[in-house]
Amino acid sequence: MVEHADIRMVHRGGSKINFREPVFTNDSRFLLCAAGESVKVYSTSTEECIHDLQGHTDLVTGVVLNPLNHLQVYSCSADGTVRLWDFTDGILIKTFIIGYPIYSIYVSEKHGGVVFVVVPMANYKSSEQFQLVAVHLPRSGDQEVEARELSAVLCDVSPHPGAASFGREGEYIAAAKDLQLEVFFFKKQKSYRFSLKSGIKKGVKNAFTCVSCHPKEDCIATGHADGKIRLWRNFNQKKEYTYSTLHWHHGAVNTLCFTPEGTNLLSGGIESVLVHWRYKQENQKDFLPRLGAAITHIAVSPDGSLFCTSHSDNKITIIQSCVKVSAVIQGLVKGEGVWTNLIIDPRSKALVLNGKPGHLQFYSLHHDKQLYNLDIVQQEYIHEEGLDQFEVVKAAFDTHGDWLATVEERRKKGSELEVNLKLWAYDKLTQSFVLNTTVTAPHEDRITAMFFSPSPETTMLVTTSLDGHFKAWLLADHSDTKAEGAFWSCDFVGGYHLLKPGCCCFSADGSLLAVGFQEVVTVWSPASWELLTTLSQPPGAIRDLCFGRLSCSKYLLGTSTKNQLCCWNLLTCSLEWSTPMDVSLLQTDPLSENMAAFCNQSGSSDLFVFKPSEPRPLYSQKALCTGKVQHAVFAPRDQMLESCEERTQWLNRSQLYFVTQHMDLLTFSTKTEEDRLLASRKQLVVDDSVAVTPFYLLLGKHRMQQLEKQEVLPNPMAERTQLPQGSIAIKELLHTPAHVLPSASFLCAMFVRSLLISSSSAREEKEPEEEEMESEKEEEDSEGEADSRQGESAAWGPSKELGAPALTKAQERELRRVKTFDHSWLSSLLDC
Amino acid sequence: MKSLKMMHQRACSVDDNTWFLANHADIGLIMATDGGSFSLGLPCVFSPKSRQYLAICAQDGRLRIWNTDIKTLHQEYVPSAHLSATCTCIAWGPCRKAKEAPQRKKRRSEAGHVEKQADLLALGTAAGSVIIYSTVKGALHCTLDGGHSGGVNCVQWHPEDCLLYSGSDDTHIVEWDLQTGKARCKWKADRASVTSLCVSPDGKLLLSAGQTIKMWDLETKEVYRKFTGHSTAVTTLRFATSRPPDSNGLYFLSGAAHDRLLSVWQVREDGKDKNSVVSFNLTDEPQHIDLFTSNSKEEAVRLAVVCKDGQLHLFEHFLNGPCKKPLSPSCTVQMSGVEDSPLPVPLLAAALTTDTHSLLLAYGNHLQPVMERVEVNTAERHVCLTRDVHTTLSLAMEMTVSKVKTPVVNAKSKVLVPGLSGHQAHVQGTLGSEKRKGTDAKEMSIAERLGEIDLSTEKGGVKGAPSLQTDNFAVLLVQGLESKDANILNKVFQTRKDIFIKKTVARLPLPAVLPLVEEITKRMQGHPYTAVLMVRWLKAVLMQHTSYLCSLPDLVFQLGVLYHMIESRVKMFHKLTKLHGKLYLLMTQVVTSDSGIKDVDHTAKLVYEEESSDEDEASGDEGLPDEDSDNWEEDEGMEVETMEDKAEEGMRTESKVNGDSDIEPGNESEEE
Repeated sequence: MVEHADIRMVHRGGSKINFREPVFTNDSRFLLCAAGESVKVYSTSTEECIHDLQGHTDLVTGVVLNPLNHLQVYSCSADGTVRLWDFTDGILIKTFIIGYPIYSIYVSEKHGGVVFVVVPMANYKSSEQFQLVAVHLPRSGDQEVEARELSAVLCDVSPHPGAASFGREGEYIAAAKDLQLEVFFFKKQKSYRFSLKSGIKKGVKNAFTCVSCHPKEDCIATGHADGKIRLWRNFNQKKEYTYSTLHWHHGAVNTLCFTPEGTNLLSGGIESVLVHWRYKQENQKDFLPRLGAAITHIAVSPDGSLFCTSHSDNKITIIQSCVKVSAVIQGLVKGEGVWTNLIIDPRSKALVLNGKPGHLQFYSLHHDKQLYNLDIVQQEYIHEEGLDQFEVVKAAFDTHGDWLATVEERRKKGSELEVNLKLWAYDKLTQSFVLNTTVTAPHEDRITAMFFSPSPETTMLVTTSLDGHFKAWLLADHSDTKAEGAFWSCDFVGGYHLLKPGCCCFSADGSLLAVGFQEVVTVWSPASWELLTTLSQPPGAIRDLCFGRLSCSKYLLGTSTKNQLCCWNLLTCSLEWSTPMDVSLLQTDPLSENMAAFCNQSGSSDLFVFKPSEPRPLYSQKALCTGKVQHAVFAPRDQMLESCEERTQWLNRSQLYFVTQHMDLLTFSTKTEEDRLLASRKQLVVDDSVAVTPFYLLLGKHRMQQLEKQEVLPNPMAERTQLPQGSIAIKELLHTPAHVLPSASFLCAMFVRSLLISSSSAREEKEPEEEEMESEKEEEDSEGEADSRQGESAAWGPSKELGAPALTKAQERELRRVKTFDHSWLSSLLDC
Repeated sequence: MKSLKMMHQRACSVDDNTWFLANHADIGLIMATDGGSFSLGLPCVFSPKSRQYLAICAQDGRLRIWNTDIKTLHQEYVPSAHLSATCTCIAWGPCRKAKEAPQRKKRRSEAGHVEKQADLLALGTAAGSVIIYSTVKGALHCTLDGGHSGGVNCVQWHPEDCLLYSGSDDTHIVEWDLQTGKARCKWKADRASVTSLCVSPDGKLLLSAGQTIKMWDLETKEVYRKFTGHSTAVTTLRFATSRPPDSNGLYFLSGAAHDRLLSVWQVREDGKDKNSVVSFNLTDEPQHIDLFTSNSKEEAVRLAVVCKDGQLHLFEHFLNGPCKKPLSPSCTVQMSGVEDSPLPVPLLAAALTTDTHSLLLAYGNHLQPVMERVEVNTAERHVCLTRDVHTTLSLAMEMTVSKVKTPVVNAKSKVLVPGLSGHQAHVQGTLGSEKRKGTDAKEMSIAERLGEIDLSTEKGGVKGAPSLQTDNFAVLLVQGLESKDANILNKVFQTRKDIFIKKTVARLPLPAVLPLVEEITKRMQGHPYTAVLMVRWLKAVLMQHTSYLCSLPDLVFQLGVLYHMIESRVKMFHKLTKLHGKLYLLMTQVVTSDSGIKDVDHTAKLVYEEESSDEDEASGDEGLPDEDSDNWEEDEGMEVETMEDKAEEGMRTESKVNGDSDIEPGNESEEE
């Protein structure tokens, strides 16, 4: 293998964010989700990725909040580790090495220090048998800890994370597989199994798909492949269990979720409708339809205000108060394949490929973010399995991005093919594409290739089809008709001995058109539609054709199915050279002479970058990825790189992107480029505490003290400190404009409490002294204290003071010094 | 903490509701006054580097961040006291730094580094506080309070350290330490209020503008240089060069209120820098400036200035010493609407890109700006762009949460179905190609001209024609074709009698044949009912004038459309006839079985006979009933075959229309 330390292959387009159920943080400001080999932290309000928790070396298979500390999160991965993160700062706290690939993770508040993970059965490592084990996470200060204390809880479980759930207060765990539901009670250490009759004879598929337990009552909801939801009750015994059935979904129930209070049950499936069942009044249900794609996961924020649904098109939708979609986090839509090639939109420089069914997606390579989906078909997509619906199969832009041509097709087995060719003009006035011409049935068979002519004089589109013809479409002014504007019409239909054209290619200036008719390459002149020449054919049909660019424009390159890469010289009309290579894809760089050939060799792809005029490749990389590379594109760079190294020079002007068999978008990047990107980022640390506002005075300190009371100082004296603070609060409350205050009902209790004078007379005596302290503190505040830590330490001050009722002046001074001292380290200790 | 934030948000919304009406009225007022001149001096800034976002603080005091890629509203933020303490200035913080990923073992592929987006925004308010807003979190990051007693006029980030500078009406400059959120340093800058600030690219110098422009050394906070020249408040200060080793090459530019010049100042080693060295001519006070700093003498400074009157001026200049004459813009860009009397559309901001031809523009209203990346021909001195800006502004903007854009589909678009002209050109074989564009066009024009001439001469004749020669359809038809009078043609084509049609076509003069064919083609593309009528005419034409048509040299082009139309129309004919045949077979059998049941009584007797006949058959004789049924079946078969024949013949005739001449009229009629 050739090592190129300077050129690296990097992932683009993110990874699947719909792979596992996302998790809301306790304050519902962030959403954590597993994305490939990292955990991403998204803001629920702005859809932005805030942190990328990197560290796992394989697919992350589960994310759960630490039940003991809601600012930490556990993630498990197929690399056999469980990692604990601080997601607010994006820091890896600990790594627990389990040693087996983990498929899902569960935690419960009742089982502190224990995580439940699904791992393959030890003795059948190869087979598809999984078990649920409890892992006791050892307490130690090390960064990396081996956690080998495994105890099996359930055997033979499904690796799907939705197929198990903790019940009320973690007393039991319910897991389902195929036709069996198993409930394990931790107290009794006993499990009950309930199985459904397989209704295959009756044509009913009632296998379990997902399980969710009611958080407050003993009730288990299970979803089934036939669209039914069963609510199981009284399952703590073998015999007298009951279940009731709810049925709305027509497809399988993909996911189920109870709201935190258990008042509602949410379910979703392929219908892309979020169904909202009232618990115990199941005939009342609400729907949120048109969510865009099949629902794969549902999560609810701990306060129940936000829902989020993951969808099959790599999207997470955040839904506010059951009715309104408030945010959409969208990744690169990865369907079953790329039907259209990878295209670069010349106008926005975005990568364009087919996205959602019937849409083209525009993906910003610069920001590595999906921009939008363009609705091409404009027909309602019916979310149901087994329906044939229109798909965008081809797309092309002209050189300036003024025209977009799309081909949509309904692939139906055993019946007529329906094909539409649509030509969209970019309207500068309204800044959007406008449909100009629709051609129904432009060809009698599938369209194999479609390109705009790069020639600046004519606007021409060429389509080749399996019906044995290629057609040239021309934008023509019909001045004789009254309709204003120019429309497209067919200008020429060409064919060659009734052979089927498979590919076509325009030369860089648009003066030549090469069409590959099976084994024959025909070269036409688009100006007169004369067949200029046919080129000798190697055995095997032509797969790809490419004209050389710039100094190599006299060459025409072609690849054939019989492992040949040929280069013809157009001046002499003869074969210049050919090599035996199984080239699956040939791509030209529009800005240089370079060409990239992806070769298929023993199950993996190799890349060669070469110039047609030079015998030696500029760059080669063996075993790029497994499987064939079918689609690639050179994307022009915004700024030219100035790399002088021979190996990396081909990356100076444009960047090569390609899609692997598994729909991963990859690209090549050089070390210098990465360095440049990293160097451009300056360290910017800004303290993110929100400044002192009236609310902060009222609530923030109050809360903090309460926390202190609960966690650190169970000292009843601490309550006293509230009074002077309260008096400030009152002042602030009275002096703050009403419109910036929260509702009165919210403030009332606090307000009244702050007015209460403590009964103890001894404390009353001390009050004036404290008020004095407070006034001093106020002075400090006015000095521009905007730090919460400072506030915290200030809150600490008086509570210490109370321990010693009598104070001398010197002591007071000392205390003041202590007060100004930063105690933040203490609070961080307390947090742990 | 969580509830605190929530409370805050909630308070904001409460605030919103209570003040909505007042707010509304406010905007109405602003709108009303806005009519004539455009400028409001509202802050409007593109995010650094990739210019992905545009932050605008509009008339209603809300901060809106627009995504320039998708051209939609990204987020909206209402500062807690947005009406009393309006936002006066915005500055984007430097792009945030990602945490260093731990170095891992080399793998096949890894997550790529993407240029991180800008995150923090500093907003100066009229109340004297500075708000730091995080666009990534969509929430207030922190508030810097207590530094100023007057309104903040300008905020500037330090390019490297976590420092922020703000200048205020209280004549002071405050240096904020963002790590602690406290003012690190505060000093009096001028006797008048500080209106503008700028930190040098290396972060060592600070420019401030009050009565005079002062250059401060940031380490010692001492005045390094003073520049005087502007009589009005300086609104913009920008460094035009990054500082080269010999500091004679440091330039900055300044623009002032009500001043139609942008002055460039040179910071010279010897301190002899009293006057501005270069000035750029503008049409109005500068509002928004974007420039590409030059790093060397050889590199020109590129400058884009949006003026108060909504025009954009582009300059390109090599900064090397003084230049007496004020420089005029190399290119001026203006925008106008699409109304009948086009109103100018004000530009709000413009950003240069690395590509010299393309610009990122924001235009329209502050409440709903439109962002666009435009290719501007900078060679032209004056460029005017026409854009359709939404004139209706809605205050309550629906944030589009779906990531789907719908392109415009209106009735203007053309639909080509098989059979319409333009759907398919003639099929070209492997060899032999003809040029036809030129001839095509010529012929059309001549025909049209002729038609026009004929029309003018025959206008009277046409009217008189029905009364004169109503009996002669041929003349009527010729007149109709020549004058393209739909009425006459309709009248003629209404005829259903084959004999009339035949005779009319037979009497038609030869030059009128081709127009007739064209007319027939046009009419056949219409509704099937009219097409049915036209088929008779077409049949008659083909019967009578095939020889003439064959003699035409460009027959393929003349009749190509007709041919393709017929072909597409009868594409399914074969299949349909097959289906028809099968159905017919099925139906007749159903009928016979039905009738069989009915005739049970009758057949009972016959069966008796049949049995005997069966016996006969067994014995070798042929029975009558059996033969009957055989015959019947054969009939069925015949039926299907004839149907298929018809179809085939139909196909054949069309293929003949294309090239050959021998057409059998009989078959033609059967097809219809």
